[in-house]
Amino acid sequence: MADEQKQVQAALAEAPRGEGHGQGGYGGLRREGGREGGGRREGGPGGGPGGARRGKRQYFRKKKVCKFCVEKMDLIDYKRADILSQFVQERGKILPRRMTGVCARHQRWLGVAIKRARNIALLPFAGSAAGATAPKVVEAHKS
Amino acid sequence: MEERLYDLIFIARPATPEDEIKKVIHSIEHACTEKGGKIEKSEHWGTRKLAYRVAKHREGMYYYHQIRTGHGELIAELERRLHVQDSVIKYLTIRLDEDLKRQKKLGEKREKRAARRPRRPAATPAQPAEQQQASAD
Repeated sequence: MADEQKQVQAALAEAPRGEGHGQGGYGGLRREGGREGGGRREGGPGGGPGGARRGKRQYFRKKKVCKFCVEKMDLIDYKRADILSQFVQERGKILPRRMTGVCARHQRWLGVAIKRARNIALLPFAGSAAGATAPKVVEAHKS
Repeated sequence: MEERLYDLIFIARPATPEDEIKKVIHSIEHACTEKGGKIEKSEHWGTRKLAYRVAKHREGMYYYHQIRTGHGELIAELERRLHVQDSVIKYLTIRLDEDLKRQKKLGEKREKRAARRPRRPAATPAQPAEQQQASAD
């Protein structure tokens, strides 16, 4: 009985800390996945990989290059849902730059293209975009 | 007025008969010839699964046209006609020429920069040799 109570109390004590809304000087950094929010808070006593309170989660970021800059894509086609779906979450939300490593200019163009694709039902507004394919031309005729 | 390039995509209901689609396409072509526009490309992407339900359908037939015109009001006319059709459940017009101009400009700048730099495989560390690195990838 006492064990159960202790467990319950421990769970209750953990839960609000896991939600952690920017205490400890992290400012406007929202949690990017509840689990990591809790891990961040409790990484304190261990010293925290990457230094104590340096700010953002440097230890999670590996060096990323902008995919579009590497491929020298100057035009992000809104019709290519297969390319766009790589930059979209499972729930349909656009992924932030720090996750994908896209440069600022291409992130802006990407946002525009994704919103256009959403309007023409090539990508969902909310929901899984798995299985998004590029349009296959069945018949093309120049008139 | 200079020529502008537009993308026109419309989605028809999944089981629409062929002649209804022909009617829609004819009305598009008719409007183009009336108002002075040229259809550059015309494609049919087949029946695709829609990302969300539109007019209670989960699939739709996609048709794509690329139109070049000097008269902007042609687009308003086309959209009006598409809106009236029952078989068309969604349409979208996008103006393309500014994007293409920018793409061309960036491409030309990139080529000029590449031609100006000595094409040597990373011999000088001082130069930011992003071109060579990218081509080596």
